[in-house]
Amino acid sequence: MHPALRLFRSLLWLYPAEFREHFGQDMSQLLADRLREEREPLGALLAWCHAAAGVLIHAPEEHMQMILQDVKYAWRAMRREKMPAIAAVLVLAIGIGSTTAIFTLVNGVLLRPLPFAAPEQLVYVTESGPVIGGGAVAYPNYLDLRERNHSLEDFALYTDGITTLQISNEAERIPSGQGTASLFRVLGVRPLLGRWFTEDEDRHGGPAVVALGEDLWRRRFNGDPGVIGRTVKLGGGTEARIVAVMPRDFHFPGLAELWTPLQLDPRNNTRTDHWLEGIGRLKSGVAVAQAQAEFRALMNQIEREHPLESYGQTVNVFDFGEHANRRLRPILVTLLGAVGFVLLIACANLMSLLLVKASARAREMAVRGALGASRSRLVRGFVMESVLLGLMGASGGVLLAWAAVPALAALVPEGTLPRWISFTPDWRVGLFVAAVAAGSGILAGLIPAFSASRQNVVESLKEGGRTSTGGAGTAWLRSALVIGEIAASVLLLVGAGLMVRTLVNLQNRQTGFRTDQITTLQVTPSQREDPATAAARVDRIREELATIPGVLSAAGTSAVPLMDNWGRSLTVEGRPVLSLKDAPMIQHTVVTPGYFRTLGVPLLQGRDFDDRDGKQPPVAIVDEELAKRYWPGESAVGKRVRFGPPEANEPWHTVVGVVGVAYNNSLRELSRNGVYLPYREFNMRSLAFVVHTGAGNPEASIRARLRAFDRTLAISRVITMRQVVTRVLWQEGFFATLAVAFGAMALIMALVGLYGVMSYTVSRRAHEMGIRMALGATAAGIRRMVLVQSAKLIAAGLVLGTMAALVMAEFTPSLGRALYGVTRTDPATLAAVAGLLALTALAASLVPAQRATDVDPIAALRRE
Amino acid sequence: MSLHKDTFHILVALAAHDRHGYSIMQDIAARTGGEIRLSPSTLYSAIRRMLEDGLIEELEERPDPEHDDERRRYYRITREGRKVALDEARRLEKLLADARATGLVPRKA
Repeated sequence: MHPALRLFRSLLWLYPAEFREHFGQDMSQLLADRLREEREPLGALLAWCHAAAGVLIHAPEEHMQMILQDVKYAWRAMRREKMPAIAAVLVLAIGIGSTTAIFTLVNGVLLRPLPFAAPEQLVYVTESGPVIGGGAVAYPNYLDLRERNHSLEDFALYTDGITTLQISNEAERIPSGQGTASLFRVLGVRPLLGRWFTEDEDRHGGPAVVALGEDLWRRRFNGDPGVIGRTVKLGGGTEARIVAVMPRDFHFPGLAELWTPLQLDPRNNTRTDHWLEGIGRLKSGVAVAQAQAEFRALMNQIEREHPLESYGQTVNVFDFGEHANRRLRPILVTLLGAVGFVLLIACANLMSLLLVKASARAREMAVRGALGASRSRLVRGFVMESVLLGLMGASGGVLLAWAAVPALAALVPEGTLPRWISFTPDWRVGLFVAAVAAGSGILAGLIPAFSASRQNVVESLKEGGRTSTGGAGTAWLRSALVIGEIAASVLLLVGAGLMVRTLVNLQNRQTGFRTDQITTLQVTPSQREDPATAAARVDRIREELATIPGVLSAAGTSAVPLMDNWGRSLTVEGRPVLSLKDAPMIQHTVVTPGYFRTLGVPLLQGRDFDDRDGKQPPVAIVDEELAKRYWPGESAVGKRVRFGPPEANEPWHTVVGVVGVAYNNSLRELSRNGVYLPYREFNMRSLAFVVHTGAGNPEASIRARLRAFDRTLAISRVITMRQVVTRVLWQEGFFATLAVAFGAMALIMALVGLYGVMSYTVSRRAHEMGIRMALGATAAGIRRMVLVQSAKLIAAGLVLGTMAALVMAEFTPSLGRALYGVTRTDPATLAAVAGLLALTALAASLVPAQRATDVDPIAALRRE
Repeated sequence: MSLHKDTFHILVALAAHDRHGYSIMQDIAARTGGEIRLSPSTLYSAIRRMLEDGLIEELEERPDPEHDDERRRYYRITREGRKVALDEARRLEKLLADARATGLVPRKA
């Protein structure tokens, strides 16, 4: 053959195979004839180019044409059989939607880079030790570490809080951040206007300066660029000069919109005061582990240099992003795993539906195959149908996720997640949806497609003539899929059951204090005052609150249970003085008289505080467990304790009362015993109040009364104790909600799958049923036969699922830690899940079983 | 709806004889004075489309054994094809009549 022709022939490979097989020969032949016509080489060349260019133009058109054709066939096929198509789309939408929703959360929390320059260089630094547990850096240690280390570009301390901003006699409480001057160099953020704090401004007793967030600046200062250099009034009456406006998307730590320098007083911040968090930026080329090693060595050095203030501490350096996500990561990873099961069940379901479809269409396929349609064409048509279903399912899934993500995000209490976390979908989510949709389409569609095209023409036509359905070869596969679906549902439902029981157990546990009909609030006066005036004000506030109609009692406290905590070490008189390293930590709460009565904490011995307490001599109230531990068999009243580092020689406090144990710190365990001190001993500017109310929501009347009393008081955090509990349990609630949703979806899909398989089996065996009935089988007998068959599938799924659940329990010790009051292999939960599944599954089989008895025996016999 | 120009030419080419691809191409070229020479790809895409639309059909038998040097496929116009071609011819005729009526008359060369 002429090389020009050969080249043209190879160009024909651009066409779809079908087109090429059909017309390729003729096309080359035509070109050969055409070239023969041309005498001149130039004419021949032009003719050849014309032909080649034509191929380049038309080949893609032919591909397009063929796809359109396939789509048309697929669409027609789906319209003919609406129910299976709708079921398939719904199942897919559920699978893809739930997976996408969870992935969107994962993306927002774990995958998106932090909104700081070179976020991979940021590290979180925290001391940890046997008593403090971790989470903070002491100021003197920070100064030493900052000066001596060689692995960090810079190192900073920060803390978050709420600052009162006073503009024209109106107080606004604003989430704020306090940081060392180095904080913004570490974060690498540029102010929108002005400049960040200098080291001089960060010194103790330095000038009062403040940086504002862009939104705050626009809201309260109308975005006036002349604001730099002006002064504003902050809480405590401080006049602070505005030095910077920070960009809108900058919020650190937490939700901060206003920043002040820490201006730490070294005398009040010893090596045992842990309340500031550390963040550093690694020098380029330094790994987290290297920094960690260096910091540990430095901390050992510091510990040796200051033995009296040593509490056995060490220091940890974490990747900042990982640290910020440490609580959410395991939850999200587990949820992603669980939703993966949902997706697998959806795929199994879809495959099952497509297999039924494939068998049902076997006859049509066989006929078209006999008429010459190529196998690849038939497979492609079927795959196209799956792709169409997939696209519709994916669209439904995206809609579902779009609706679900905000609902899920609403389960996370405000302020729990850093402001930079956003759940708007981005390219990663788009890519994920595409991959999941394509993956599940292929997973679910390929086997049925091949099974459809593999039909033996003669067999199918024969079989078809008899029962109008075929494809016995895939019956076992469909049964296996249903068994798998049931088993996976067992897993998810067991998980859901365990999480719900954990949540309920925690919600209903005895906390030792009243959680119903308690409202708490934080009250902060605008001015710093002398102790006597402040104490008088607190008394007045208590009175005001207590005289609101419906309020039974009210009291002040330094710490709302489960929200705030303040740990200190304890020394007991008459017992060996332990070093700081070994001294026990207690929960240190400052309260007004009436606190125990208000929260329903029983007074077991001695007395409550009264208005004289807080002057000399110092007194304290301890909880029952602490009393029993240190003074077993005798009364704690009259005994003496003191707090802080043992060498600090703080004054002894005489125990005047013993109260019941209250789980102030955590609902799961009593990590620290409670010691209460009278508030007059401390001058606490901002104090929380607990109010025992009757029924109804007293928030409005509380606010109105306090406003009438003193409108310069800033009132914040108004929240009921029930809400506090819900907030504390949000992770459990989040988990339980999603687990139940997944379990329910899995159950529904498994039931749909079982129903589909049983209906199909019944329709396949209709003929046999007819003959059985003709031979004397009763309707009840036929029904029983179908139900027994269904029960076998259900039982297999249950056994497999239960076994899987037990195996899973074995390999997930972390799950055990997440649970409360229930074990991973809780028999009651397993039994309840098995019962639920068995009952609903049998119910789903009733309709097909009934249908089996509707066969007309005469008709069946006639066809024989 | 007007027919695709190639479709009409092919229908005309097949109106009197069953033909294979090269023959269709030659016929069109001859009738248009060599102005329209369909490339193989244009021709066979049109043929594929017309087969699907039922305007033409592929012949099982070879009507011209002497020239049947290769296994060429032959095509025949269907009844539907004839009807479509006729409709198109009428449409063109009417168009031409309209043009004439407005004084737009092609001059004889």
